Amino acid sequence: MANSNLPRRIIKETQRLLSEPAPGISASPSEDNMRYFNVMILGPTQSPYEGGVFKLELFLPEEYPMAAPKVRFLTKIYHPNIDKLGRICLDILKDKWSPALQIRTVLLSIQALLSAPNPDDPLSENIAKHWKSNEAEAVETAKEWTRLYASGV
Amino acid sequence: MTIGSGGSAIVALSTWNCKSALFYHFFFFFLSAVPRNFRLLEELERGEKGIGDGSVSYGMDDADDIYMRSWTGTIIGPHNTVHEGRIYQLKLFCDKDYPEKPPSVRFYSRINMACVNHETGAVEAKKFGMLAHWQREFTMDNVLTQLRKEMAASQNRKLVQPPEGTHF
Repeated sequence: MANSNLPRRIIKETQRLLSEPAPGISASPSEDNMRYFNVMILGPTQSPYEGGVFKLELFLPEEYPMAAPKVRFLTKIYHPNIDKLGRICLDILKDKWSPALQIRTVLLSIQALLSAPNPDDPLSENIAKHWKSNEAEAVETAKEWTRLYASGV
Repeated sequence: MTIGSGGSAIVALSTWNCKSALFYHFFFFFLSAVPRNFRLLEELERGEKGIGDGSVSYGMDDADDIYMRSWTGTIIGPHNTVHEGRIYQLKLFCDKDYPEKPPSVRFYSRINMACVNHETGAVEAKKFGMLAHWQREFTMDNVLTQLRKEMAASQNRKLVQPPEGTHF
């Protein structure tokens, strides 16, 4: 019943997310709000986040797909493009959004952001400074935070 | 928000009544209501940009609290009242069930006002309609703005006030 008013595109995307999940990513809609997804992303191998399980939340606003999904990390993470509240600095979530993109591409991009932190376009100034001044040490901190906060359920 | 966009659906219902309003409300709530955390992120961003003429404002207390529960609000006393020139600080607490349930609201700056508990500073829902008849679309901005209006209401505008700068 509730699904009948959900745009076909969202239903399709959801079905595909559930039947063919992207490697290292899971996304499932919440029972009481089909536009709200619980997301898990595994830290990519050979990144400081390897071994971590990161929880995120994603919401498809009324205007989706004309407007980007809203996404944030719920698990604490040490990353120059993610702030204390888990907000993510990623162009496709802002001005580079296109309706041709999907939930899947957004989550894959976030996974890729974990492999390639970009301290030149920071959201967390302090973490970016750390990254630029002493990358090895910043990576160590990121690994430690992964152990502390993202070591799985 | 969600409710507004469904306006045409309301008109289309020939047997519109309170029951269907209730149904409609739940229907859209389950479908696409902005979830708590994203709603609070929106409020946070709005608060950071600054609201209207600046006579009310708010911000988050603990930048590390991922659930964004504790907030401080500020109201500048309205003109032509005993509150003029005063700046009132309040504490707002948005629990896990916000915005389905209202935030709890408490004055930190002492104030003498009909809807405010004289001992604790808490805004009492039964004397402040917005909290008693809370709707999910209401925001912290709305609460502060309404409280400011309340300060200028006839029962409050001339009440003798405690010394400025004192706290509950």
